[in-house]
Amino acid sequence: MTTVVTEAPAVAGPPARPAPPAAPAPLGRRRHRADRPLLLGLTALTALVHGVNLGGGPVFGADEGTYLAQAWAVREGVGLAHYTYWYDHPPFGWMQLAALGWLPDLALSARPSLVAGRVAMMVFALASTVLVYLLARRLRLPPWAAATAVALFVLSPLELALHRQVYLDNIAVTWLLGALLLALSRRRHLWHYIAAGGCAAGAVLSKETVVLAVPAVALAIWQRSHRSTRAFCLTGFVAAFVLTLSVYPLYAALNGELMPGGGHVSLLGAWFHQVAGRHSSGNVLDAGSDAYRTVDAWLYQDPVVVLAGAAAALLALGVRRLRVPAVAATVMSLIALRPGGYLPAMYVTQVLPFFALCLAGLAHTATVLFRRGTWAPPRLRRPVRAAALVLAAALAAGVGASWYDGNRRLWREDANAGYVTAGRWVREHVRPAQTPRIVVDDALWPDMVRAGFAPGTGAIWFYKLDLDPAVMAHLPGGWRDLHYVVVTPMMRQRPDGLPTLTEAITHSEVVAAFGAGAERIEVRRVLTELREATP
Amino acid sequence: MVLTGLAVAMSATLFLAATITLWWTLHAWRTPQTLHATRFAPPDGSHAYTFSLLLPARHEEAVLARTVRQLLQSRHQAFELILIVGHDDPATSAVAHELAAEYPQVRVVVDQHAVKNKPKALNTALPTCTGDIVGVFDAEDQVHADLLTHVDYAFRTTDATVVQGGVQLINFHSNWYSVRNCLEYFFWFRSRLHLQAQRGFIPLGGNTVFVRADTLRQVGGWDPQCLAEDCDLGVRLSSIGCKVVVAYDALLVTREETPDSAMALFKQRTRWNQGFLQVLRKGDWRQLPSRRQRLLARYTLASPFVQAFTGVTTLAGFTMAILFDLPVGIALLSYLPLLPTVGTLFFEIIGLHDFGRQYGLRIRALDYAKLVVGVPVYMLLLAGAATRAVLREWRGRRDWELTRHVGAHLLPDAPTPATADA
Repeated sequence: MTTVVTEAPAVAGPPARPAPPAAPAPLGRRRHRADRPLLLGLTALTALVHGVNLGGGPVFGADEGTYLAQAWAVREGVGLAHYTYWYDHPPFGWMQLAALGWLPDLALSARPSLVAGRVAMMVFALASTVLVYLLARRLRLPPWAAATAVALFVLSPLELALHRQVYLDNIAVTWLLGALLLALSRRRHLWHYIAAGGCAAGAVLSKETVVLAVPAVALAIWQRSHRSTRAFCLTGFVAAFVLTLSVYPLYAALNGELMPGGGHVSLLGAWFHQVAGRHSSGNVLDAGSDAYRTVDAWLYQDPVVVLAGAAAALLALGVRRLRVPAVAATVMSLIALRPGGYLPAMYVTQVLPFFALCLAGLAHTATVLFRRGTWAPPRLRRPVRAAALVLAAALAAGVGASWYDGNRRLWREDANAGYVTAGRWVREHVRPAQTPRIVVDDALWPDMVRAGFAPGTGAIWFYKLDLDPAVMAHLPGGWRDLHYVVVTPMMRQRPDGLPTLTEAITHSEVVAAFGAGAERIEVRRVLTELREATP
Repeated sequence: MVLTGLAVAMSATLFLAATITLWWTLHAWRTPQTLHATRFAPPDGSHAYTFSLLLPARHEEAVLARTVRQLLQSRHQAFELILIVGHDDPATSAVAHELAAEYPQVRVVVDQHAVKNKPKALNTALPTCTGDIVGVFDAEDQVHADLLTHVDYAFRTTDATVVQGGVQLINFHSNWYSVRNCLEYFFWFRSRLHLQAQRGFIPLGGNTVFVRADTLRQVGGWDPQCLAEDCDLGVRLSSIGCKVVVAYDALLVTREETPDSAMALFKQRTRWNQGFLQVLRKGDWRQLPSRRQRLLARYTLASPFVQAFTGVTTLAGFTMAILFDLPVGIALLSYLPLLPTVGTLFFEIIGLHDFGRQYGLRIRALDYAKLVVGVPVYMLLLAGAATRAVLREWRGRRDWELTRHVGAHLLPDAPTPATADA
C-alpha cells in the first residue's frame, strides 16, 4: 500500500505563497428529486411540440436545402459540398447531419429530404432542451426556474420555428450549451474544462458566429474553478479550443486554400467576404433596413421572449450567478445589431436559450429577494404572496395566449404542400434518362438527386448556374442545354446576375403548377428550337 | 490502402501515448482536492526518530562543504551525517575529513571499491548507520532546515516505510535546455510522482528519499549493478508492499542544479534510461499484487523510451506529410498526435509560470521563448539518449557516467530556503 499525505491544513508560509486553509470541498451535488421527472416530462413535451406537423411549418428556408445537400455530399463521399466547397461555413455542422442521415431513413424514406432533415434536427432540439435544464440547475436555479427556462425556450413560436429548420445555428447552440455545462462542472475536474474547450470548438466549427459566446464559457470557468487550479483549468480550455479549431485552417492550408489567390477558393477569402464583403443589413433603428425587417419579424413571432429576454439579459449582468448567460446573450446581441453588420434571420436562435435562462433566473432572483425582504410587516406577507402568485399566473396565461396563434399555425398549417407535391410530380412525370437537366432550388435539390438526376450537372442548383464555372462547362449551349426549371418562391427572389436562368425561364412553358400567389410553384419545360429539330 | 492503414495505426498509437503522458503529468491539477493532497502535512513540532543521512561525494570538493554546513542547520538535530568518499579521490576526502573534525555529527566512510558507483558507496555506509531512518542526499543539494521535522512527522503519522520528498532543479536560466530540465523536475515531483504513489508503484528519486533502516537492511540495500539504483529500490520496496508516502512543498524541496552541459545531460539521461531498462529486465515488478500495478510498472519503466520517441516521431511524421505532399487525409491523420504534443507545450508554459510563482523566481519572456523554441532540439536529445541507452545495454556496457556539478543553483540571488518558517 502506498498513499499520499492528505491531512490539512497547510503550513503558514511567507506572504508570497498564500496557503489555502483547508482541503477545498467539491461543489455540492444539488440533485433534487423533481429533476428526473421534470426532465423526462420536458423532453417529452419538446418531442411533441416539435414533432407535430414537422414538415408542414415553417416554410422551407433558403439554406435548409443547401446544408442537406452538403450533408448528402459528405455522406456519399463526394466531398464537403455538392458543388465546390468554398469555406462559406466550417463543415462540422453538416458532417453531423450526414452522420445522423440514417435516422430519418428508418421511418420516412418516402418523405421529401427536407422533412427527413428536420427529423434529424430534433436530435439537437432534444439535446438542447436537456442541456438548458441542466445548465439552469448548474447556475444554481431551483427546478421550477430551470423548467421555466426550458418552457420559454421550447414553447416560444419563434424558437420553435427556427428550431425545426435545418440550420447550423441550432447544431452550434447544442455544442455551446454542452461547453457551458462542462465549464460549470461541480467536480471542477481538469478534464471537464478540456472537454469544454473541445465542445466550444465543435460549436464554432458547426457555425462560426457562435465564437462570440466563447468569452462567456471562459467566464464560467473563471467563476467556478478553484483558485489553486484556475490557471491550469483555463489553459486546458484554451488549448483544447485552439488546437481542435486549428484542424480547419490546417485542412485549408493542406489544400492550398488558406490564402486568397487567383483561380481558387480560400478560407481567408471566404472569411473576408463574410466579415466585410457581405451586403450590410443596415441600422436596426432605420425602418427601411433589412435589419429592421428581420428584428420586426422576430418580434411579430414572439415579442415576449425577444423583448423581455433582452431586457432580462441586461439586468442579469448585475447578478453574479446569471452573469454567464447574460454575457453570452449581451455580447451576441450587441455585435449582431451593430449598425452596418449582417444580420441573418436565424441568428436569434443562438441568443434565445440565454434570454430564456436570464428570464427564468431573474424570476428566481425576484422570489429570493421577495422572501428575504423586510418590506412589509409579517401579517401582510401572506396576502402579498398570494397576489404575487396570481400575478405570475396571469403573466403566464398572457404569454401563453400571445404564443397561441403562432404555435397553432406551426402545428396545423401545411406551408410546404406545394414543394412536396411539385417534387412528387417531377418524380412521376419527368424521366432523367431522356431529359437529364433540371434546374431547381436547394430545397428540392436532394430530392432530384434521389429521383435519378446526376448530382451537380443533372440536378442543378439554380444559384450555381451562372456563378460556378464548373457547372457552365457542362452547358456549352447555355440555357438551351437545360430541360426543366422548377420555379419556386425562393427562385423568384433570386439576385440579379443569373442571365442563363432568366433566359431559360423566359423560353419555357408551364407544365404543372401548385399553389397560388407568392407561394406558387411552377414546373416549366424549357423550349428550344434546336431541341425540337433534333430529338 | 496500406499507407492509410499504417498512418491510422501510427497516429492512433502516438496520439494515445502522448495523451497518457500528458494526462499523468497533469495529475496534481486534476481537481482542487488532488492538488491539496500533494502537500506535506504540517508537523506537530515533536521529534521521535533518529536519522542517518548518507551523502556520497565524488570529485565534489567544490560544493561539499557548503552542502554539509547547510544540512547541519537542520532544526531536527537527532541525526548523523555520513560523508562517503572514494579512496582515489584525495581532494574530496580532504574536505570531508576537515568537516568531520569540525562537527561531531559528521563522519567519513571511505569506499574502497575498485570500480565506483553510487549504489556501492551507499552500501558501504549502510552497515555503519545507527539511525532509525536512512536518508540520501547528493553533494550539491540545498536542503531545507525543516525537512527532517516534516519527514519525522510523516513517518509517525502514516506508518510509511519510505518517505519521498521533492527535488527541484532551480537554475532555469543557465542555458537553453535548463528551463526544460527544471520543468521536467517540477512536473515530476509536483504532480506525476503522487499519481505513482497513489497507484502503488513508485520509482524513487535519487535523493531526499528516506527509508526505515531495518527494512533497508532486510532488502539488502541498493543494487550495486544497477545504473538507476534509486528507481530499483523503489520498485523492490513497492513489490513487497511497503507503504511509500510522497509529500511536496515548494518550501521544503531539495534544490539542485541541471547538468552543466548538454553533453552531461545527454550522458545523465543515457544512464537513467539504461537504469530503467535494467530494472525492467530484472523483473522485480512482476511481484506487484495487482495486474493494474504491473501494467503501470511496465509502462512507467518503458516510458522514457515511449516519451523520447513519440515526440520525435510525431514531429517527423507531420513534417514528412507536408514535405512529401501526402494526401490531405493522411496529412490530417499525422496532425492528430501533434494535438496532445502542442497541448503539453501550453501546459508547460503555465507550469513555468507556476514554477516561478512557487519558488519566487522571475520568469522573463526570454525564458518562455527558450521553453517553446527548445522543444524540437530537446526532443532530439531525449530520443538520442534513449537510443544510446538501448545500444549500451545491448552491448553490455554498464559503467557509471557521473554528472558533474559546479554549483550553478547556489546563486547569491536565489532565495535561501533556511529563512522560511514552518
